[in-house]
Formats: sequence, structure tokens, C-alpha cells
Amino acid sequence: MSGRIFNENPTIYALSKKSTRKSRFETGQSLWVDMDDCQDTSDGSDVEPIDQDEIFELIRSISDPEHPNSLEELRVVSAEQIEVDHNHIMVEFTPTVPHCGMSTLIGLSIRVRLLRSLPPRFKIDIRVKPGSHQSELAVNKQLNDKERVAAALENPALVETLEKCLETAGSTDHSD
Amino acid sequence: MEFVERTARSWMLFERDTEVNQLVAGISSGQVALLDIVKALGEYLTSAEDALRTKGVRFLSLVIEQCPKDKLNRQAVRVLVTFYCSKLEDTETITPALKGLSHLVSFPSFSSNEVSDTLSAIFMHVNMKALVQSTRFFVFNVIYSLVNSHRDDLKKMGDHFLSSYAALASGEKDPRNLLVAFKIARVVLAEFDTSKHVEDYFEVTFCYFPITFRPPPNDPYGISADDLKDSLRLCLSASPAFGSLGIPLFLEKLTAGSPTTKRDTLQAMSACFPVYGLTVAREFGEKVWSALKLEIFQPIDPLTEQTSLDTLREFVRVLQPSSTPTDGLGDDIDAHVRTICNDCVEAIGEPEKAQAKAGMKALCTFVGISPNLSFYTVTEAADTLVKLFHDPGEVSNRAAVIMLLTDLLNALALPSNTSEPSVLHKRPLSTGPTSLGYPWPSPLESAKDALLGLLVVGLKSSSTRLPAIHGLSALLRIPSVVTDEELGYIVLEVGEFVSKEPYEVEDVTIDVLSLLSSISTTAAHHLATQILPPLFAALPDCAPPRDAQSERAAYWRALCALSTLCVQPTLFETLVIRLTAKLDLLCPPSPSMSALSHVSYTATVEVEEVESTAAYAHAILTALADTLFAKVSKPELAHDVPKYVDRLLPHLFRLFLEAAITSEQCILTDPRLLHVGARIVKLVVQTLSIEQQQKFVGETVAAFLNGGVKSITGGEFSSLTDEFRPLRTDASARQRGTVTLFAAAHIPIRKEVPVILKGRDGTNASGPISLSALLKNLVEWCDLPICSALQREAACELFATLVNKHTDDVSDFLDDMLKNYWSATLNNPNISSEVRCNSINTWVWITKGLVVQSHQLVSSFVDCLFTLLEDGAVDWSAARALGALAESDHVLTKRNGAVLKILHVQRYFDAVLPRAQEGAKKFDGSRRETAYLIALAYLVNAVPKAMYTTQIPTLMPLLLRGLDVADPAIRSHIIHCLSNNITTASDDQSSLSTYASTLVVVMLKNCMVTDMPDHRVRVAALKYLSLLPGAIRYDLLHPYKSEVLKDLAKVLDDPKRVVRKEAVNARTNWYRYSG
Repeated sequence: MSGRIFNENPTIYALSKKSTRKSRFETGQSLWVDMDDCQDTSDGSDVEPIDQDEIFELIRSISDPEHPNSLEELRVVSAEQIEVDHNHIMVEFTPTVPHCGMSTLIGLSIRVRLLRSLPPRFKIDIRVKPGSHQSELAVNKQLNDKERVAAALENPALVETLEKCLETAGSTDHSD
Repeated sequence: MEFVERTARSWMLFERDTEVNQLVAGISSGQVALLDIVKALGEYLTSAEDALRTKGVRFLSLVIEQCPKDKLNRQAVRVLVTFYCSKLEDTETITPALKGLSHLVSFPSFSSNEVSDTLSAIFMHVNMKALVQSTRFFVFNVIYSLVNSHRDDLKKMGDHFLSSYAALASGEKDPRNLLVAFKIARVVLAEFDTSKHVEDYFEVTFCYFPITFRPPPNDPYGISADDLKDSLRLCLSASPAFGSLGIPLFLEKLTAGSPTTKRDTLQAMSACFPVYGLTVAREFGEKVWSALKLEIFQPIDPLTEQTSLDTLREFVRVLQPSSTPTDGLGDDIDAHVRTICNDCVEAIGEPEKAQAKAGMKALCTFVGISPNLSFYTVTEAADTLVKLFHDPGEVSNRAAVIMLLTDLLNALALPSNTSEPSVLHKRPLSTGPTSLGYPWPSPLESAKDALLGLLVVGLKSSSTRLPAIHGLSALLRIPSVVTDEELGYIVLEVGEFVSKEPYEVEDVTIDVLSLLSSISTTAAHHLATQILPPLFAALPDCAPPRDAQSERAAYWRALCALSTLCVQPTLFETLVIRLTAKLDLLCPPSPSMSALSHVSYTATVEVEEVESTAAYAHAILTALADTLFAKVSKPELAHDVPKYVDRLLPHLFRLFLEAAITSEQCILTDPRLLHVGARIVKLVVQTLSIEQQQKFVGETVAAFLNGGVKSITGGEFSSLTDEFRPLRTDASARQRGTVTLFAAAHIPIRKEVPVILKGRDGTNASGPISLSALLKNLVEWCDLPICSALQREAACELFATLVNKHTDDVSDFLDDMLKNYWSATLNNPNISSEVRCNSINTWVWITKGLVVQSHQLVSSFVDCLFTLLEDGAVDWSAARALGALAESDHVLTKRNGAVLKILHVQRYFDAVLPRAQEGAKKFDGSRRETAYLIALAYLVNAVPKAMYTTQIPTLMPLLLRGLDVADPAIRSHIIHCLSNNITTASDDQSSLSTYASTLVVVMLKNCMVTDMPDHRVRVAALKYLSLLPGAIRYDLLHPYKSEVLKDLAKVLDDPKRVVRKEAVNARTNWYRYSG
């Protein structure tokens, strides 16, 4: 990594508790308080669509390239900044400082994580939160240009850094 | 003499050990004098021929090496020393001579005179750079022995020794020699006056720092880098004189080094600071702090960060000596420590930032160094935090402030693992400023009120609530800080959140409850008066109607809270009284009353009502059972449980038994309620003593077999409309249901308690019946078509526990099963397969009672099951049964007093596995072969993997064939089994790699929703796929990589969330899979 650190003393936020999905008793489907109903909750053939929480679950534990913290801890990503439509996903992220040179890398790591973890039918848009970065347009353009993303992923040094950020993605230490 | 000469000459020719041994034996027995040997060797020792001379000296050294230490007198040693010293000049003899010397110096008759001669000779003649490692090793050993045994003589040699040794040792590079050299240097530096040679010794020690040595593979000497590091560290910290030279070097290495070097340097500094002392610490105070600050405030990794904090603690400990209590607390703080503190406190000034956490970590390390420093730090930090908290401009950072405060409080608190209730019990509550005879006031004394106030304010707002609760629990863990009155106040403030709706309090309930239950162990009265009443009030007297979802959630929340809080004995007593009272209201004690109270309801409402009421009663019983379980799981909480055999159980039995007899509709006949009831009975009975169990089981038998219901209900029972005979084959379904309770009462009974059965009709006309007869009757009872699943389960548990604990008493029964029952029912093709499957289940539980004690009859019972594998009607059930026998269960456990033999699973497994394997190996595709495969799958899945690791190569093909069986349960069993063994199998390359491609294809097929409707199998298959890249060499699987990634992309769109999650994991692992 280059010697320059863009934000050496970032703000750390508390992790939100895992969004707990409700049991059958809590949703009123059953009258009975049953300790061992966890199996039959998912027994039926009901479809559980991909939602905001699930996308957030995928990207929350990606590491920041600059700090030993996750994107969630730095509030770079949050569940509210994700929108899911039928076949379209929009992820917005907030760089910790407006001059952050790592923004493209962060955006790219989110994109790669989602490319690998979501079915191909989704179109994914990744944006910097409006007004949070000095070269917002350039970053957005770079992140949503297929050719540029593909070119970036040809660069071995970049891919190595990227894999490092993604190493922690999906780690289950705080979920469950 | 002649013998000596002959032996010496023969050695010179053959170099055999025997000659050396002969001479050593001669010396030991006193027949040979060492000087004779020298004389005999004379011609060789002085020979002009180099090889002969070397050999002569070598022989002498060999003899000395083995010579008993007391056999050489002073004279002989003197002569030998002189001789060896003279041989040091000679390059040919220097090696054997040094070897001889290295042994000679350890002889007791080696005197002070020889010390200086030997050393002078070594210093004069030995040129270390010209010698090989092994020879240099002798030099270091000679000196090390002398340093240990003749330290005073060496000290007398003074500067000559010090300077000469430093010159001798400099430039050494071999780790084997360095280990000795470091030991010498440590002693010299610590005990000799090295004031004139500080620089020399600094050179020969610090030049090795940091150690970067890495041992070569298969190093025969077994010297690790850590050995060297530890040894060197002892040298570096041996003398305070190194201080002003060493610290700059350390700081330089710290700034420039890799993480490993950094940690090594930090550890060395920790060791050195106390030795180098206050003056040095002050001299370099600023530089050291700025270096450490960097490591702490911008840590490169957590380990280095922790090491830096440890070093900082040592550093501050040196700077800030402990002082006696004075009035001016905080006045005697060292200027450097003040600076450090100020820097950290300044970082806290921006509480939401990463460096604030680092600053707090640094401050926390000061706690406990010395009372005055603790007081100073805590006061400074607390003041800053309190100010920040109340600063209107910083309102948004209040949560961060509280979290920092919590870190500080945690540093002062007892570690949470020792805050077990037993410890807390002993902890006295604060009585005044100086309790415990501690000479210093607690560091929190002055700040406590402000902090408590701050935390309570924190509770009020949703963003700071959770941190505030954590802060309070840290505060409570600090010994003797909070007074009883303050505890009451905390309980009052926190208690507010217990009964609120979860959305109002953002789900802090769990943390609130854990805080309150930690208080309940010391100050239960606060909970009893403030927390419990509103919770009990939240429980309605009758069940909310079916559509009142939120009311139902509210009562369950209150019950959960109660069951978490009421483990403490007095609180538990209240809980039992209040909850049983509620139950009485829900289940009217007599049919007549029930008729009265329901008279106004219409019939339809009543049917609606019944299920809601039953669910409410079920929730109440579940709460009771959960609390009991929490109590029974912790020995220190369980001591009051036995008394409930006379309070809670009779009450429950009365309610359940009355319900079974009455003709009215009653909720307590519901199997789900009976199930929880049984759980409560088991939990209480397992804590009883043998005598109590005997009394209890007698009462149970009287009630269930003889109709004497009052014996178990504490004498109370409403008038009987019907006889209570649940075990008769003509009993009503309601009465039959209560057998669950009968079984529960027996499961935890120890085997020492005899089961005494009186006459069946209570008239004693038929005399006492045997246990065998009871069980036979029970089998019949079980085989009735009206027998429900729960009833059958109860009967089976009863079989297992009674057969296990009273095997000898039931031998008639077991014989009867094997002879009559086997042919009449189990193996009778004229009986429907459904009935036979049920009897296989009965069979399994009877056999289980025998399997766990490795009884000899097991084989007969198992043989029967193998016979059934051939029978197309019940073969799969029999196959499953073979696996079920190896499974552990909740009945035959140590807690329940079962008779268990060690390794019983292993024995069973070893007996059954070969038979199952044999049957499965016949590749005829028949139904019979499939049955064996299924048996194998269930069996292997039921036991720990260690039992069959060695068999994996033969099992693999069988398990893979088993995956063709369509049944999802079998597939997921097999995949689980394969996953469990993936690491073991990959060690043994051949077995897994051979099947790698098959495995990939099979698993991909099993994870597609189109091919495999059962999502559990899909999850299992995906889990397995995600393990494969870690277990198999890349070159074997890389042809599949793109296919796997492509197929997994489809699975990412699975309708089930759990499946998608596993698919993401698997796909990520395959993306990372590369050569």
C-alpha cells in the first residue's frame, strides 16, 4: 500500500445488532412458544426473496483498505443505503473523508463482492453518497463502467489488494 | 603398567571404545594411575608426526571424559592442565586439548591456581577465527564451566579476563556457540565489575539484536529463534550500564523493523526498563513515549499493539514508583507520566475517533501500577469524559464517551470470568470510603457519583442506552464501589426497560436482563420489590384471544424475563408460587368449577379459547422449566431445587391427573403441555438424594399402577369420577397421556433405588408383580393402535431406563422379547409394516439400555435387526435402527444415573460396522444392498469420526454409492459424514483425490433446487463444496473451477436464504482457489 494515509484517525461506529428474523410465534403464525420450531420455519416451500438486509450482510464485513476495521464500523456502508428492486440493486457508500483516494477501491471491492455473490440477473449500481466526495462523478463513472471494471480486474497488484479487503467478507464472527 | 601400554597401543591402532572403557575401569578401581597413561602415551604425545600427536592427545581426552571425577587428585589435575595448556600452542593438538580441558575444568580438584593458567593460555594461544565451530564450542564451554564454578577467581583476574573474553567472544556467529556465549555474558554482566568494558560488552551482545536466525529444516540441534531471543534478552537486560547505549538502538529498531522485529524489540524493552532504571527512563522518556505512541495510536496489528501496551506499562512502572499515601494525591506524578497521560486524555477528547480508543487502552494499562497513579489516571480520564458528556456540542458523541468509560471501568473491574455468583456472594458492598483495609481510597471514589449520574442519563436516550447498560455492568463488577442504596437506584432506572415493548427500547432487553440477574445474586430484594411485581402484573389471568398477537407476545416477554431473573432461590420461590397460581386459574382445579366459570361462554368461543389457553399454560410451564434448567445446570444454583419435589411437583401432578380423569374438556391433556410437565419433573427429580428418589418413585408407582393418586398430589384431589389406570390396555387416551409423566419420574432415578411394585389392583390379591411383567404389559400397551407418538416415546424411554438400571430384574422380559415377541410381532410378515416399524422402535430403545452398558445380550438383539434388513417390508426402518443404537440420547446419560460403560459406542460400532460393510459391498443393486448402505450411512453418522478414520478408504466408495439413494435424509447424512472427514481424508491423499471429480459433480447436482427439493441437502452439499478447495490440491480440481463457478451462480438465486448464504461461501472459496 502507498505510504500516504488519507484519514489517519477515522471515526469508529458501533456495530448494529444482527437483524433478527422473527420466529413463527413472534409473527403470530403460531400460538405456541416452541423451542424447537426452528426447523419447520424454513420447512415449507415459501420463497424468501433477496432483500436489503441480505445484501448488507454480504458487504458489511469487507475490510477498509486503510484501517483494520470493517466498512460497517466506519459507516462506509449501511443497510439504509441499499435499494433492491426486482432485478436491480443500488448500493450507495460514504467515504470517511471527501478527499479519500481509496473510494474507488472500496467501491470496486463492493462490486466484486456482489458480482461473486449475487445471481447474474441483477444489475448493480454502486454510487458514492451525493456530496460526500470531491470527485464524486469520476468515481461513480469508474465504478459503473463495465469496461473499466474489467480492466481494473486485469491488474494483478490491484486484485491482490482487493482480495485482501474481501478476505474478511462473510466472516461470521459478529453475525449469528 | 604393561597393561596400560598395551591398551594404549592397541587403541592407537584400532580406536575402539573398549580400550578406553578398560582404562577408565582401571582408574575407577584404583589399579591404574592416570599418570601411567600419560607415560604410556609419552611417545605419541610428543611425536613429531602430526597425526600421531593429535591422536595421542585425543585418546587422553577421551579417557578423562569418562574418568570418575573423584579419582584425579590435585597433583594429577595440575600436571594435566599444564600439559594441555602447552598443547594449545600446537595447531594439531589444540582441538583434543581443548576438549580435554573442557572436561578437566569440571573436576573438583581443579583449583584456583589452574584457573588463571588455563585462561591465560587460552587467551594467549587460541585464535577463535581460525577454529571450526566444534572447537570454539569447547572454548566457550571451558569458560562457562569456570564462570560457574570459579567465579571469584575470575573476578580476581579483573580487567584482564573481561577484556580478553570480550575480544575472544566477538565475531561468534554459530547459534550453538552463541547460546553458551549469551549465558556467560549474562553472568559476567550481572556479577562482574564491567564499568570499564561497557562498550566492549555492548558490542558483543547488542550486535546480535534483533535475532533473525531461522533454524534450517530438520535442524538436528533443535535450537529455535526463541531460545536465542530469550537468552539474548537476558544479556541485554543484565546490566543497567547498557541503558544509555541500548535505548537508542531499540528505538531505531522499533521504527524501522518488521512486525516481528517490532515485537521482539518491544519485549526486550519491557525486560530492560526495570533494570536500566529510573534515570535512563527519564533521560529517554520523551523519545520512548513518542515511539510507543506511534505503535499504540496507529497499530499495525493487534498483537503488536498489545505488546506495545505491555511495554508502556513496564516503562511507566519504572517512571512512577509507588509512594505512600499522602494527602496530595496526584501531586507526586512524574513529569513524563503526566505527559503520557495528557496525550492520552487529549486523544479521548475526540471520543468517536479510532485514536480515542487507543488512548483509553493506554490509560487502562496504568490502572494497577500504583495506587497513586491509578487514582490520578482514573480521575483525569473520568473528569474529561464527564465534561465531554455534558458538553452540548458533543451530544452526538455521547455513546462513544460511554463506551470509553466502560473500557476504563472494565480495567478496574474484576475479570468477568471470576464474577461468578459465588464470588459475588462474598463481595462486600461498599460501606465507606476505605473498606477492605485498602490504604488508598478506590480510584473511583471521587468520580463515582458523577459517573453513575452520567450512566443513568445515558439510559434515557436510545442511542446511548446499550453502552450505558454495559457501563453499569462494568461498574458493578468493581469491588466495593456501589452501595446497596445505589444498587436499588440502578435497579429502578434499568428496570424501566424490562417491561417495555421491544421496539420502544431497541432491543436492549437481553443486556438489561443480564445486568439485573448479576444484581440478583447479591441484592435479590431490589428485584423482588421493583422488577418482579410489574412483570407478574403483565401476566393476564386468562389467555388473550387468538387474534391478540401483541398481548401474546407481551406475556411471553414477561415470562422470558422472569425465567432469566428468577434463578436466585428466594426469587425462584416467588416465581413458582406466582406461576402455579396462574396455572390454577387457567386450568380450573375441579370439573364442577370449570363448568361454573365457563357457563356464560358459548360453545364455539370455548373451542377457540381452549387452544389459546393451552398455549398460554404451555408458555408458563416452559418458563418454569427453563428456569429450572438454568438452575440445575449450575451446581451452585441447584441446592434449593430438591425441595420442590414437595411443592411444585404435587401441584403439577394434581392438575395433570385431574385433567386425565375428568370428562370435561381440559387443556392439560394436550400432549405439548404434558411434554413440558415431564421436563419439569425430570429436572427436579434428578437433583434428589437417593432416599428422596425412593420415596418419590414409591408414590409415583402407587399413583400410576394402583390408582392411589392422592399419594402423589400431596393428598389433594377432587372427587374421582373414574378410576386412574393409565397403564391398563383399556385406559382412555387421556389417561394414557399421563404415562409421559410416569416415564419422566423414572428416568432420573438412580439404579440403587429399587422399583417395588405392589399388586396391580391394589387389593394385594394377586401379590406383588414383577418388573418384567410390567414391561411386558407396557409393550402390549405400546402396540395398541390408539397409541400416540408421545405415548410411545414415553414408553420407550421407560424401557431404556428400566432395562438399563435393572437389567438383572428384567431378564425374563428380555428372554420373552427375543423368543416370543420376535416371532409373533417383529418378524411376522402377516402383521402390517406400520405396526412392525413401531415395534422396531420399541426394540431399539430396549436394546439401547443394553448397548450403553455393553451387555452380552446386545448381539442377540442386533442380530434380529440384521435379519430384518433382508425383509423388504421393514428393511429401511431396521437400517435406521442400527444407526439409532449408536446415537446418544437424553435418557441414558450420566446425569440420569444410567449405567454406562466407557467406550460402549466403540464396541457396538466395531461389532456392527464390518457386517454392514460386508452386506453393502455386494454390487447387485438389489433392495437388500440399499438397505445395508442405509444402515452404514446412519451408523457412520451417529458416531464420532475418530472411530472410523482408519476405515475411510474402504468406506468412501460405499458412501458415494449411498448418495444415489433418493431419500433426502440419507443424502444429507452421508454428506455430513463426508464433510466431517474431509480433513482426515485429505491427509490420506489417495482416498479423497481419487474421488475428487465424482464428488464435485455429485455435490453440484445436490445443490440445485431443480434437482433436490430438500433445502437441507442443498445446504449440506454447498457446505461440502466450500470445503473442497481447502482439502484438495489445486492441480487436481482446477479443470472444474469454471464449471463450479458457473453452476454456483445459479444456486445464488435459490429461493431459500440459508442456501444462498452457503452458496456465497462456497463460491467465494472457489474464487480464491488457485495454484
